[in-house]
Amino acid sequence: MSDLADTRSGAPVFRLPRLISADGLLTLYTWAFLAFMFLPLLLMVLSSFNDVSPPSVTDWRGITGKWYAFFWMPEEALRADPVLRALDRDRFVGCFGNSVLVAALVVPLSLMLGLAGAVLLTRWRSRANGVLWWVLLSPMLAPGIVLGLSALVFWGRLGVDAGLFTIVMAQTTFIAGYPMLILMARLQRQPVELEEAALDLGATPFRVFRRLTLPYLAPALASAAVIAFMASMENYNTTMFAKGGACTFATEIGAMARNPNGHPPVINAVGTVIILLTVAAAGLHTVLTRREAR
Amino acid sequence: MRGKDVTLDSVSITYPNGFTAVAPTDLRIEAGEFFSILGPSGCGKTTILRAVSGFIEPSQGRVLIGGEDMAGKGPNARPTALIFQNLALFPLMPVWENVAFGLEARGIGKRARRDRAQELLDLVALGDQGDKLPSELSGGQRQRVAIARALAVEPSVLLLDEPLSALDLKLRQHMRAELRAIQRKTGVTFIYITHDQGEALTMSDRIAVMNNGVIEQVGSGDEIYSQPRTAFAASFVGEINRFEGRVETVENGTARIVTPLGRFRARNPEQLAPGADAMLFVRPEAMVPGHAENRLSARLKRRDLEGAFLNLFFEAQGVELSVHVTNDGRAPELSGQDLTGLGFSAERAVILPAGPLARTGSELAAQ
Repeated sequence: MSDLADTRSGAPVFRLPRLISADGLLTLYTWAFLAFMFLPLLLMVLSSFNDVSPPSVTDWRGITGKWYAFFWMPEEALRADPVLRALDRDRFVGCFGNSVLVAALVVPLSLMLGLAGAVLLTRWRSRANGVLWWVLLSPMLAPGIVLGLSALVFWGRLGVDAGLFTIVMAQTTFIAGYPMLILMARLQRQPVELEEAALDLGATPFRVFRRLTLPYLAPALASAAVIAFMASMENYNTTMFAKGGACTFATEIGAMARNPNGHPPVINAVGTVIILLTVAAAGLHTVLTRREAR
Repeated sequence: MRGKDVTLDSVSITYPNGFTAVAPTDLRIEAGEFFSILGPSGCGKTTILRAVSGFIEPSQGRVLIGGEDMAGKGPNARPTALIFQNLALFPLMPVWENVAFGLEARGIGKRARRDRAQELLDLVALGDQGDKLPSELSGGQRQRVAIARALAVEPSVLLLDEPLSALDLKLRQHMRAELRAIQRKTGVTFIYITHDQGEALTMSDRIAVMNNGVIEQVGSGDEIYSQPRTAFAASFVGEINRFEGRVETVENGTARIVTPLGRFRARNPEQLAPGADAMLFVRPEAMVPGHAENRLSARLKRRDLEGAFLNLFFEAQGVELSVHVTNDGRAPELSGQDLTGLGFSAERAVILPAGPLARTGSELAAQ
């Protein structure tokens, strides 16, 4: 690489003494980058097993599983622990349940909206397509707080109080964009002739959709569902503004993390579980994408 | 299965952007005919096919199939089946389901579908491939699946959009014979779109030569090849030598044309009048070294041995001439500067109105 510099002109070239090769530099950078990304996660995982609150890895007090056991330990054990007894377990579990409920509604809604948008944008040939594309995708680009606030104001004017419903509505507006992009990418690779051939053989448009388009989209639908689910579960800012008095898993963790005395290591335990689930989901997604490629 | 006739009654097709893909066209394709529409890409032949199959409505005029006006009928309501250029086999369905898809759309039970699919797969010699996926078949086999799938709906008219263009040469030649045989066996009207004159000439009962949205000539392969009616038809189908000039005199269906290479007499089917700008066309095999009614002198520049015959390339006053002769040992040798006498009979040469020509191979290659 560095040889290129002195072949360019005849002028003398000043060269730094070579301490490290270009490849070595790249390797160093890569490792530094990975460390920057993953060391905080590693610390979080380690501290989730350390018997000290607030969480620490330097102040090691022995291995414990109680930050995990918090979720299922008997009431007496809970009350006996000086850290855990300050936490409202029922509320925490309830908020998690809310998140699952919200995701269970947001995923099918955003799949349906995304599918409709993807079919429209890939199969409807019009000059309005470009405009429509930006209109449908703009919620993804809009700041989350704007979406949350606008859902709050819109539904409030209609007499709907902020709560789980407004969370679902606010999340769906931008999460629907993910399935749309994923499904569009897939649909664009399906030759239009396949649908034309089916029509030509006498199939109704509905049969074409059911027998050709839907089976073709199945793997993409599955991966879009996984991504929509994760986006819904982890969403904080939009949800924060749309939630009213309700809570979700993400907003509750947010509330606990704002504790001025440092957050309880339970959050680290939850984070570790989320990492495991995410890695599993990413693995699943890879498998599905591989299958889709066939 | 019985073929039906197809009539285009002053059909013209203009796209929303104002481009006229098909100028007003009258065309009658007989029932049970193997009819080819031959033309360069972009000439409007696929547009005609899509108008017959129902994917586009003509801007003007009517499409009739078996005498019935097809206006307002979509592709799923017409007695046609289309074989796409890329075949458009359904990749996720096994071969037999592909073939039976049209029957499924008609609400026929699975048992009957499977049986019918088997018959059709037998017809195209794929009887034992029904459970494979299309991706597991070879190009030629996929081709035959597409044919079986189209025949399954018992169309009166089968429309084929350059279905052989993706195959390699040997297979393409084999499939020509096979398509022709299937057409004879079923009696279905075939409308075959191609830019390959070899395909059109070998398979078709009749051919329409098309250029720039206009059908220039309709006729049998022999007619198109030997009696072209326009400069484009003459230059698009097969190799041909061309001399530009002006009609001097006319008599008894022939005319005399003045060209930079001399005066020649040839047939005058378009009844050009003296003074008209004209082109004289002579096939390479109609031009022979030696004596004949029309004579000219040219210098041999290149001699390509094809085996049974020779392609000779002459040059006369800047005009390139191509001559095909059988390899009988009497063909002229490359000999430097000597002029060779070439000749052709008036019967085998034709004078046509000057007009646009098909692009030559070197022009296409330069694109």
